[in-house]
Amino acid sequence: MKGRIEAGDDTTSTRLRMRVALTVVALLLTLSGTVLYLASYFWGGWLLAAAVLVVVVRLLSVRGREAGIAWLKAVLTRALIPVIGIGCALAIGAIIMLSTGYDPAASYAALFYGGLVRNWSVSVLNAVPLIFTGLAIAFAFQGGLFNIGAEGQYYIGVIAATWLGLRLDLPPQLGIPLIFLVGMVFGAALNAIPAVLKVRTGAHEVVTTMMFAYAMKTVAPIFIRANGGDPTHSSHPLTTDQISDKLFLPLFKTFLPNANYRLHVGILLAIVTALVVQFILKRTNLGYKIRAVGCNPVAARTQGISVAWITIASLLISGAIAGMAGVTQVLGLDHRMYGDLNAGYGWNGISIALLARNNPVAIVFTSILWGVLDAGGQYMARTAHTPNAIIEIIKSIILFLMLAETIYEYFGSKISAWRSFRRLQRKGGRS
Amino acid sequence: MSIETGTPFTADTPILETRDICKVFGALSANRNISIRLMRGEIVAFLGENGAGKSTLMNILFGLYRPTSGQILLDGEAVRFSSPREAIARGLGMVHQHFMLVPTLTVTQNIILGDEPVRLGQVLYKKARRRVVEISERYGLAVDPEARLEDLSVGMQQRVEILKALYRDARVLILDEPTAVLTPREVGELFAVLKRLAESGTSIIIITHKLEEVMDLSDRVYILRRGEMVGERKTREASASELANLMVGRDVVLQVERPALPPASAPVLAIEALSARNSRGLPALRNVGLSIGRGEILGIAGVEGNGQKELCETIAGLGPVDSGRILFKGEDVTHWSIRTRMRKGMGYVPQDRRGSALVLPFTVEENLVLGRTDGKPISRAGLLDFGAVRSRALHLMEDYDIRAAGPESRISTLSGGNQQKAILAREFSSSPDFLLVSQPTRGLDVGAIEYVYRRILELREKGAAILLVSMELEEIFALSDRIAVLHGGEVVFVTEAATTTETEVGEYMIRGRAAGVAS
Repeated sequence: MKGRIEAGDDTTSTRLRMRVALTVVALLLTLSGTVLYLASYFWGGWLLAAAVLVVVVRLLSVRGREAGIAWLKAVLTRALIPVIGIGCALAIGAIIMLSTGYDPAASYAALFYGGLVRNWSVSVLNAVPLIFTGLAIAFAFQGGLFNIGAEGQYYIGVIAATWLGLRLDLPPQLGIPLIFLVGMVFGAALNAIPAVLKVRTGAHEVVTTMMFAYAMKTVAPIFIRANGGDPTHSSHPLTTDQISDKLFLPLFKTFLPNANYRLHVGILLAIVTALVVQFILKRTNLGYKIRAVGCNPVAARTQGISVAWITIASLLISGAIAGMAGVTQVLGLDHRMYGDLNAGYGWNGISIALLARNNPVAIVFTSILWGVLDAGGQYMARTAHTPNAIIEIIKSIILFLMLAETIYEYFGSKISAWRSFRRLQRKGGRS
Repeated sequence: MSIETGTPFTADTPILETRDICKVFGALSANRNISIRLMRGEIVAFLGENGAGKSTLMNILFGLYRPTSGQILLDGEAVRFSSPREAIARGLGMVHQHFMLVPTLTVTQNIILGDEPVRLGQVLYKKARRRVVEISERYGLAVDPEARLEDLSVGMQQRVEILKALYRDARVLILDEPTAVLTPREVGELFAVLKRLAESGTSIIIITHKLEEVMDLSDRVYILRRGEMVGERKTREASASELANLMVGRDVVLQVERPALPPASAPVLAIEALSARNSRGLPALRNVGLSIGRGEILGIAGVEGNGQKELCETIAGLGPVDSGRILFKGEDVTHWSIRTRMRKGMGYVPQDRRGSALVLPFTVEENLVLGRTDGKPISRAGLLDFGAVRSRALHLMEDYDIRAAGPESRISTLSGGNQQKAILAREFSSSPDFLLVSQPTRGLDVGAIEYVYRRILELREKGAAILLVSMELEEIFALSDRIAVLHGGEVVFVTEAATTTETEVGEYMIRGRAAGVAS
């Protein structure tokens, strides 16, 4: 009897050890595979595939065969919806190209060759700020708030990074974290007034944060003029001077020689931020409260959660994340502030958050998709001479199809709410 | 049974008649064999408690529900409405308790909405306005046709609703609890309008649970209880206490063992001269004074809308207090935060389970820790300990017999009874010294009701002071040691439960202090 129990303990402990080992292997494979793949070492993809395999094996051993397979099926079904959406959007795009006299096959070949292979590094660079702004907006969404002014917080992040980058004389180990910190504080500070107004007066954050976004756009040229932008100088009238090169973000090239010379580690930072945001929302007390307030502020308040403080915290953290977008862009890619940048990362972040349904991990993938479409679109315009505008159309169609799905879900939930109401009536027979 | 149809119209033919209307929702029959007659120019009241089946009947008349069996006759002719639109087309108008109006439109626009006079795709606004003015003058319903609805008082908005029905040539006007949202002055004006309408030939049905309104306004009254018609009286010939008896009834379904406890010493919760306003800024609580001792259940009886909501909100810390104090174990808690109240041992089970007690998209285990995640054992250094959350959930689910697929299933998938058990589990797990429960069994089946009662009584035996707010007299009598009646925001009657009767409490509920004077 005793021996059997010990034997049982033994097998469980070896099983546990095996699971830990599998987890470590999967993590290492994912990490190296991601870094390599992002740096255009496409064989990194095989490592990612191996990591997926390890995860599946581990899953089957933990959950048991049937439950594991059911879980996998559920995940695949969920993943299928966006794939179908994108497919439909591409098909509609093809129809538009055909009807306007362009060759869809050649265009799409150019689009995907350009976006996924040839200019993959551009796609990745495009995705970086979008991940941050998407995360910022999604974070506020989880708290039931619509931080539509992420664009403004992006700007103030850019301003903070440029201002410090021009003046700080610190080694990068100190300087870069300091600039990030200041950029985040500035981004949060920009949302402080909308947050307080919301809590005190009920002023809607959509209006107030957007007003601040436009205010920042107006401040930008003044800042540039004060920091090197010389209108009498014809070549770069609307940029500041370049920041100290000591404070540039490290490049992939320093450890992977074949990587693109512009590709910086901002993408890794963005992915880590996504994981941190996921962790905050799912694992911390604060995240739990934010989600509770986002789902039902009345119930949260009745149970003693301070809706006011949670609202303020959500908006400040959201602003800080959007500020990181600006800092990363300056330290990693631009190395200065451009006045005529019409990137609209803040606005695009809204689409990203909506498409990814506020899921931080999905935001990474959606942003990369957006980056691919942008980079590939430029390549397509150059080589296949199909106008870039078609990409904007495809993006809008993807958004529309995905939102149509939420519309469908909205009505679905209305119907189920109505049904449960009827059930309640049948039970309680309220007069 | 054969029912003749197409009876020739005579002066004696009721404008609206129902014959043996039954409506069954699942296991519950909301209406059983209801037969009513409404004559031209008559004001008929439907009196009954919440859940008596008044609104179900009106919704059947108005085409929102189909009767399970029975017949509706309009001008002696059998009709079947499949939607309110058809009912409106046949001359029925309904003024809902919650107005169906667009705040940003003008009075005229609101009235014609959905029935605009149109020529060549153009809305003939001036023509519509003339008609609105004409109708409002004919019936003495003065209202500015150009005013924006959001600028109008609630009484005026209701007037617009009535005009809306008249604009569609309503011959029968149904009003669902029309006075619930009105000030006393507005009530007087409404009644004058309704009497004028009746004189000019419109038939009126009002649904109410307020006895004085029946006596003031109606020609005839039908009394409903538990889905059945228990009486019909000419108002002139009926007495208020007779109607009250009919309405409240005396059949008690649930009997619960309630062991006697030694009388309480110092009160756990004391309310002193508490006054508060409702969300519209009108006084809702006037000078309320109550005290509850250890191991005591104080039942607050009263017809809905007499200050119960505000009483709960002020005690829970959700609503502002105008004046007065709330003392908990001798400390003045009037201005404490909700959180502090909870921490110090005050519990609250709100009436609106889904709206204010649960986060529906969350799982069972997440709901069970709502508001209790700060500090050990649920969180450590700001991180949630999922093991602790899970074990707490499993433990509470077993203790309180919460039936769910698992702690990870969404709370919205649970039945009402199990949701309520989860709420009780969450509150009781902090062993409160004082518990405020509002309508704890609304919408629950008998089994769940019995369970909830048992748990509340167990908490009482452990020495908690409990304030029970309920619109159901039976519930009050089943659980309370003492009973206080709330009427018009005042405590009009406090008594030992053992020394009173449902009839007596019912009188106070309906007539306020006047009940004491009369008897």
